[in-house]
Amino acid sequence: MRCEEIQTMLPAFADEKPVQLGVRRHLARCADCRAELDRYEALAGGLAALATTTAEPPAALLPALVDIPARRTRIEEARSHVARNRKRYLGGLAGAIAVAGAAVALRSRRVAAA
Amino acid sequence: MRRLKGTGGAAPRELVADELVERCKQGDEGAWRELVEATYRDVYTLCLRVLGDPDDAVEATQDAYLKAYRGLRGFRGEAMFSTWLYRVATNAAISKHRARTRRRSREAGPGDEVLEQIPARGSVEAAAGAKVEMDRLQEALQALPPLYREAVVLRDVYGLGIEELAKRLEISETAAKVRVHRGRKKLKEMLFSEDEDAV
Repeated sequence: MRCEEIQTMLPAFADEKPVQLGVRRHLARCADCRAELDRYEALAGGLAALATTTAEPPAALLPALVDIPARRTRIEEARSHVARNRKRYLGGLAGAIAVAGAAVALRSRRVAAA
Repeated sequence: MRRLKGTGGAAPRELVADELVERCKQGDEGAWRELVEATYRDVYTLCLRVLGDPDDAVEATQDAYLKAYRGLRGFRGEAMFSTWLYRVATNAAISKHRARTRRRSREAGPGDEVLEQIPARGSVEAAAGAKVEMDRLQEALQALPPLYREAVVLRDVYGLGIEELAKRLEISETAAKVRVHRGRKKLKEMLFSEDEDAV
């Protein structure tokens, strides 16, 4: 096997070691491909080691997360309040639309008269 | 709580006691606080590594905990709580990534702020002597195209299996392998090109 063929396979070797006899033989005698495999192994070790470090989150994150149950309660209360008073809100909305419509009609009548 | 569903990775360390989860299910807000305090650094770090942006990571972390809170009653303890929470967080980070890809046409470079946020010092050396400096690895990871970073972080940092990775990313297993392998190749080139030039 040629180096080009072997080197396209190397990124996969972090998951499973080469089993093909041709690949193993090539690696045993080719220093360049062995060095390349070594680089991938160092990379795999480095990536795995990153899992042992954590970032420091912004200070505002913890209170926001802790507040989730209370926030959910407030949202649910607001929803049930709206559901309970739906008729009243719809009536109010219809009234507001009627008043606005009357105001527009009155204004256009005045403009026409002038 | 470092590894998700390892294929050779260390078993996840449980940071949350079953009893604490039960109290959360009963609506105990004090228990919720304890649960969040024990886990949120890990969850935020996962989101930050996948997304590479602190603001997006904060939003994804909040989405994850909101979903976790809503789904807590459905958690039956078949998996460890930490594993379940990581799964929820991974999905939140992937959703955020998709939304961001739709929103932003231009790709911003890695911010110094991100690089400073995740402490990674020292180096890792392979048996035959190749060495990876952790701060350079972090820089390279942030500079990796998001599509590859997401795959490499979930597979190689958090130990997700290829099958699980494909499922989460909603792509075929072959496509998932290709993303991971291309990501590794790009990282290797970024980290070792200077060494190779010097030889």
